Amino acid sequence: MTKEKMRVGLFVTCLVDLMRPRIGFAALRLLEAAGCEVVVPSTQTCCGQPAFNSGDTRVARALALKLIAEFEGLEYVVVPSGSCGGMIRVHYPQLFADEPAVAARAGALAARTFELTDFLVSVLGVAKVPGDFEGTVTYHDSCSGLRELGVKAQPRALLAHMPGVELKEMAASEECCGFGGMFSVKFGDISTRIVDRKCDNILATGADAVVLGDLGCMLNIEGRLRRRGDERTRVLHVAEVLAGED
Amino acid sequence: MRSQAMFFKARAGDKLADRQLQANLGKAKSRFVEGRAQAVVDYDAAPGADFEALRDAASAIRDRVLANLDVWLETFEDKARARGAEVLYARDGAEICRLVVDIARRHGVTKAAKSKSMLSEEAGLNEALAAAGIEPVETDLGEYILQINDNEPPSHIIAPVFHKSKEEVAELFARTHHTPKKDDIAGMAREAREVLREHFMSAEMGISGANFLIAETGSAALVTNEGNGRMVTTLPKVHVVVTGIEKLVPTLEDFSTLMRLLPRSATGQRISNYVSVLTGVKGEGDLDGPEHLYVILVDNGRASLVGTEFEPMLRCIRCGACMNHCPVYQSVGGHAYGWVYPGPMGSVLTPLYTGIENALDLPHASTLCNQCGVVCPVKIPLPELLRKLREKQVDLKLRPWRERLALRLWGWVAARPALYGFAARTAVRYLNRRAGGTDRIRALRAVPDWTAGRDLAAPEGRTFRELYAERVGHEGRTKR
Ligand code: SF4
Repeated sequence: MTKEKMRVGLFVTCLVDLMRPRIGFAALRLLEAAGCEVVVPSTQTCCGQPAFNSGDTRVARALALKLIAEFEGLEYVVVPSGSCGGMIRVHYPQLFADEPAVAARAGALAARTFELTDFLVSVLGVAKVPGDFEGTVTYHDSCSGLRELGVKAQPRALLAHMPGVELKEMAASEECCGFGGMFSVKFGDISTRIVDRKCDNILATGADAVVLGDLGCMLNIEGRLRRRGDERTRVLHVAEVLAGED
Repeated sequence: MRSQAMFFKARAGDKLADRQLQANLGKAKSRFVEGRAQAVVDYDAAPGADFEALRDAASAIRDRVLANLDVWLETFEDKARARGAEVLYARDGAEICRLVVDIARRHGVTKAAKSKSMLSEEAGLNEALAAAGIEPVETDLGEYILQINDNEPPSHIIAPVFHKSKEEVAELFARTHHTPKKDDIAGMAREAREVLREHFMSAEMGISGANFLIAETGSAALVTNEGNGRMVTTLPKVHVVVTGIEKLVPTLEDFSTLMRLLPRSATGQRISNYVSVLTGVKGEGDLDGPEHLYVILVDNGRASLVGTEFEPMLRCIRCGACMNHCPVYQSVGGHAYGWVYPGPMGSVLTPLYTGIENALDLPHASTLCNQCGVVCPVKIPLPELLRKLREKQVDLKLRPWRERLALRLWGWVAARPALYGFAARTAVRYLNRRAGGTDRIRALRAVPDWTAGRDLAAPEGRTFRELYAERVGHEGRTKR
């Protein structure tokens, strides 16, 4: 008898849905290559993080409830984003602190929710990835992934399985890129100053690509690099690098 | 101090454009950030030492005090009185000023030597003293520099002149002291010391803050890197301590635990140059010490936080690590924040102490990156508190109606998958049109602040859900 496949729900996130579907498909390929049965609930939209961080808990709760219902029946929830992963894992239970019944459901889902690279390494123990990227890369540690979920060694471990990839660490890789969701829209000039420091550190490595795990940071860093006239440094989501071209 | 926090955005813009300031901020930042990091590594290198465990222990000490603040205050009061101190309470800044001026008048004071006290900034004490004909003299080097620079406010809670370069200070000294311009810090410090010595000798009153109050002994503890704190608290006949009610710790043992954290978190030092524990008035046979000691315990908004979701903020030991590590503070400096306390802790305290409606930008002036929370020696969840303040703004309907409407509308749509799918498809097509066949959008009216500094990558063309539905439909058909 063959072992039943692990049923994993993929939450692609609203930004990936909108801006870079290929990251969602890359995550899908990685999970399938690792032997998972991947379920992509078709009604998924957003985890509610923008509302939560704007202080609108009513909207955040509504969207959290929706996501919980969509993914509850699955063994795991995997998210190609540290901040959306952090939202579900860390903040969903807090959101329902005064509704014990929902809090229990939120807590149960939170415990089964993983950021993509964390899931591949910590749960699946993946030691082989399909991607065939060749070149030097530097890794930006996105804030929520790093400080809420402890994502740091996992993406590096996966990249180390790729013979063509050489990792060159940048200075201050753990420092914020200045995105901060609505922050970069409300205080664009401060955000620009912060992302400039990040760009300096990236460019100083001379890497062919900066790799990261959050689309928000990605849009911010890529946008600033291009505005500064850098057309050379590629800005890639770790899933794209690990999965390779479709 | 009157708050300018409502103008954060505009002030931040000015600070970003100030090249000299930008250069100064960069240098100061790396000194403090690297200093702390090294101090933690060194601390953990000792057998059995664990900085994380120390942070937990410190938070627990602070929480223990806050859980029974009234009891600890009484204990402190009793012990301090028994040693000859007079303990007074001030509800707000105005009361601080009134009390201090009264004390000064009672003792015929014409000049007061001050060591650093952020509470005196909260109260605007210098102006009040000056108005009463009493000359306040700042004796902390940084505070002194600011005072002779037309009473400029501090930009950092432990390094008041964080925003200034050596050259700027050298010019200021030459101008004010009518001396040749110096180019070494030691020389400048010597020059300031010479000026200040006369003030120390002639001041009839010393005013200081306190880093901690120790309940079991009724002492005030002072942590400094310059000798001025000692002079201020021992030379004049009258010493007034002005400090917040939350500065209490139960025992000397607790104080020593916190002292393992404070200098390391603040400057990366294992211990500050001076640690003074001041207890009571000059006793019989004592060689020095004040004849009259007053301890003014200040509320100014603190008591109202006890028992609320913001209580953890009262654990703060004013080390400055949160601002040193804050990407926003590093970019705009302390003055942009507009009141006494800058950086993440300031963005929490300013709205709580001066009114939520008077500091609307501050809780939003953060990327919530939590670089502050992970270095805070007493584990204050600063991003969480900032977020709670954002919630308060929404609850009190203090956000602009456009923003509130947009959020509600977006939330309403996002809760309806079919409608959301349609909206997303429409948005993607619109954005692609704006990109005009290129891979990026250079200006977008919906997010002008964003596109002023960076491009927006064009979307791929279709949404994930669209493509996925197609793929699944396709696979479904081939299977059949
Ligand atoms: S909030 Fe924490 S890090 Fe910031 S000054 Fe207070 S104790 Fe230090």
